[in-house]
Amino acid sequence: MKREDFLRESVVQMRLNSKMTVNELIQQFSNSGCFGAGRLSTACDIFEQMIRDDECTIFLAMAGAVVPAGLRTVISDIIRKKLVDVIVSTGANVVHDLIEALGGHHYKGHWLVDDSLLYGYHIYRIYDVFVPEEDFVKLDMVMADMFDEIARENKGHTLSSRELAREIGSRLRDSNSILRVAYEANIPVFLPAIRDSEFGLFYRFHMKRHSEDKLLRVDAFKEVSEIVDLAIKSPRLGMIVLGGGVPRNTIQHAAVTAGKGLDYAVVITMDRPETGGLSGSTLEETVSWGKVKKKAAKVMVIGDALIVFPMMVAAVLERLGDNFVRKAV
Amino acid sequence: MNKAQRIRGRKSEPRSKFCGNCYYHDAYEYPDLIICKLRYPNGTDFVVSTLECCENWEPDPQECFCVQEALEKRNRNSVEHHKE
Repeated sequence: MKREDFLRESVVQMRLNSKMTVNELIQQFSNSGCFGAGRLSTACDIFEQMIRDDECTIFLAMAGAVVPAGLRTVISDIIRKKLVDVIVSTGANVVHDLIEALGGHHYKGHWLVDDSLLYGYHIYRIYDVFVPEEDFVKLDMVMADMFDEIARENKGHTLSSRELAREIGSRLRDSNSILRVAYEANIPVFLPAIRDSEFGLFYRFHMKRHSEDKLLRVDAFKEVSEIVDLAIKSPRLGMIVLGGGVPRNTIQHAAVTAGKGLDYAVVITMDRPETGGLSGSTLEETVSWGKVKKKAAKVMVIGDALIVFPMMVAAVLERLGDNFVRKAV
Repeated sequence: MNKAQRIRGRKSEPRSKFCGNCYYHDAYEYPDLIICKLRYPNGTDFVVSTLECCENWEPDPQECFCVQEALEKRNRNSVEHHKE
């Protein structure tokens, strides 16, 4: 590269006004093009490209406590609008979806609190979100009964986490529930780390009440073929990651196993790459594995998903307009 | 001294034999009802009053406010009942 190549595009100072929309603000971020503002505007562009690409299957990875903190309806709305095609989530986010689906609540709290006092009051803390223990307890009971019913109806048939999520979604009545909306929209939900959450306790309660032959059977490996087959059938692959961890790598593994690599990738995280952990690993590092294509449209936004993702969705919805209908892949 | 400090100040006192002081409990309708984790897998009578007790009682190694608050509530209700 020559010297002038490094000095091709100048930073345009942002201009704000009292009437600007979210997308107009993002456009100002784009004019800057720097730091988090530049990355967020690029993330919006990539998300819009994925949606407008009729041959792209969009995977959404959810890790971290995005549902307890308030992204539940944002996620169920984009599922309903079919702006994503596949959900891959931690078990925990779905557990918190279920808590709300059954009438429980998450409460605004504080990170500076006497946690032993919370313990005494049977209240759990997720950074600055409080959840009463009874919401988990009641969920355990409802879900253990639901597991009994699903086991009875499936008569020894072994389910994948996707099939289990669909069974649960079909039994919920809350129209804002991620699992319910995914069921209605026929969007698969994969829960690759399902046992590492309250789901493990649901199963334990269910297990203690039944003999071996009457137990719900879930095979952690069954979903591997399911998600890889989805990737194989899709001409192009896109990924949006809230957090990282197991959900992110489940998608990346599917892409590389399908022999393709991802064409679009947006990762929103606050983790760092130096540990070698996947939540903080850069998308350039991911290219070395073949999980993301070298020429993919990709960006990593270092920021709180609770701020970044709603802005991204709001800006893209504004660009698409109310009448936009995405073509099914 | 607030309520929490008062309750924490009693840490070393022996705990009264109530389900709400038993090791095997979680909140169900705080502070009145708890779920007994021993009975729950058997599917019978697992939602019990915080102020009940059974022969499987095990003292809770950590402090919670279930019994204190259930007793206060019961006393309040009793006073209100007498006023009527």
